[in-house]
Amino acid sequence: MSTARADPYAIDVRGLGVQYSLRLTRKTTMHQSFIRVLRRHEGPTHFWALRDVSFRVVHGESLAVIGPNGAGKSTLLQVLAGIIMPSEGIIDVRGQVSSLLTLGAGFDQELSGRDNILLAGAFLGIDHREMEERLEGIIEFADIGQFIDAAIKTYSAGMRARLGFSIATAVDPDVLLLDEVLGTGDQAFRAKSQVRIRELIKAAKGIVLVTHDMNWVTQFCNKAMLLERGHIVAEGDPADVVRIHQERSERARLDKAASVAALAG
Amino acid sequence: MATTDTTPAPKAAGVPERVVYRGTRPGPIELVAEGFRDIWSRRRLARYLVQADLKKKGSDTLLGNIWWVLDPLLQMVVYVVFVSILTRSSKPDYPLFIFAAILPWKWFASSVNDATGSVVSQERIIKQVHFPKIVLPLASTVSGIVNFAFGLIPLFALLLFLYRDRASPTALLIPVIALPQFVFTLAFSIFVAGLNVFYRDVGNLLRHLLRLWFYLSPALYSADQLAHLSESHPQVAHLLALNPFSIIFESYHAIIYDDVLPDWGGLAGLLLVSCVLLALAILFFKRVEPAFAKVL
Repeated sequence: MSTARADPYAIDVRGLGVQYSLRLTRKTTMHQSFIRVLRRHEGPTHFWALRDVSFRVVHGESLAVIGPNGAGKSTLLQVLAGIIMPSEGIIDVRGQVSSLLTLGAGFDQELSGRDNILLAGAFLGIDHREMEERLEGIIEFADIGQFIDAAIKTYSAGMRARLGFSIATAVDPDVLLLDEVLGTGDQAFRAKSQVRIRELIKAAKGIVLVTHDMNWVTQFCNKAMLLERGHIVAEGDPADVVRIHQERSERARLDKAASVAALAG
Repeated sequence: MATTDTTPAPKAAGVPERVVYRGTRPGPIELVAEGFRDIWSRRRLARYLVQADLKKKGSDTLLGNIWWVLDPLLQMVVYVVFVSILTRSSKPDYPLFIFAAILPWKWFASSVNDATGSVVSQERIIKQVHFPKIVLPLASTVSGIVNFAFGLIPLFALLLFLYRDRASPTALLIPVIALPQFVFTLAFSIFVAGLNVFYRDVGNLLRHLLRLWFYLSPALYSADQLAHLSESHPQVAHLLALNPFSIIFESYHAIIYDDVLPDWGGLAGLLLVSCVLLALAILFFKRVEPAFAKVL
């Protein structure tokens, strides 16, 4: 790593590994778990979503994490946000973290937009007085008119996304975690949200952005990291990493096409 | 269970100044204290969740919140008819006797039922935001109190209009019995909410278990009607004495139906045991909580 050790940093990750147990995956019933106990010696039991991941985000840095589906990008954000505990390694995140993971995740369909703003704030751990102060600003930015007092279930997908974005960006965090939120809503709102993201990036001490949009990587980030199968494959200048990623995915596509062609005979 | 307790492999040479996450696990007392801190620091979240729950419960029915009053009354009618057919000799003022037990039982059963799915149903936000999940079963249990409070309206109506000679100031002691019941309910709810994340059968099993539990508790009958049982099967009687709802129902019957003071010693013991169970439930919940986002 090129940065000197003495630089103040926002995120420091060393030897991070996240392991998933294949035994206890979603929607287990006792029946399935009995079967698993009986067959415990068969097949792989664990799966590393991330392994040997070390990096550092110093102040003023914005790191783009790219990679194919299933590379562990979202898992990395979840670990940084404290949602998932690492299985090994050390993570040090300094300052208040805000994660803009999938927007509107906690929306309660039956509640009004206004109630949902307060509820989301409470989930995020923001003091309610602060949230009530910000309420008007959030409503104004989301620009959904009198629908704000109607139940979320009556909202269009665009309105929902706008409200989610507006809530998530209402806080000014030290460390900002972004996951694919940038292509939100219509043209006008997208322009507005880009301005907001730029402001946040300017204000935050460190940013980690997960995206499939390579324009965003080169536009907003001054560092990039390529993840594949839970390992760091490349790290450094965004333009270089994007080029490596595109070459590798192109090659993977050709390999796959070749094997399909070979199978087809 | 998928706990993340793998010992951290010391990778890098220097130890950082401030480590946020490392694979170590805090001790039991620390975990329980943390659970209480979680609850206290997120009391506002719990309040919003309760408000949301109450708003929703009445919103999609024609009669709305009137159901909170009608529900226990209708259930009382069902049991009165059912028991009158089964047994010839029923107690005097039997509807009141039953109602005094149905009301607290509905509170317990609905809280436990809601709590069972409370964590699982918030799957999406659990995967997106880091917050203390213990707030979820807490909110289910607390919103049950409101239901219970609404049920007191028909209870006092019964006492004032139908069974006026049974009305006495002892009925005002309801909160004293409700407190240990609340602690017990909270402990049970936190435990099943955590367990249900790993085994979705809990909900199915619990429905039947709760029904059996109700019939084994002195709700529709009084404890002395079981006296013959303790003579022939002393073990069964001992087992029934361990049931917290023996004490709870007997106490409610005492203050509402018999107009006497409840068994203070029994209630104090129940409160003590419930507090211990609550600490154990929080300990269990905090132990498995880190795995929620992975398992869901």
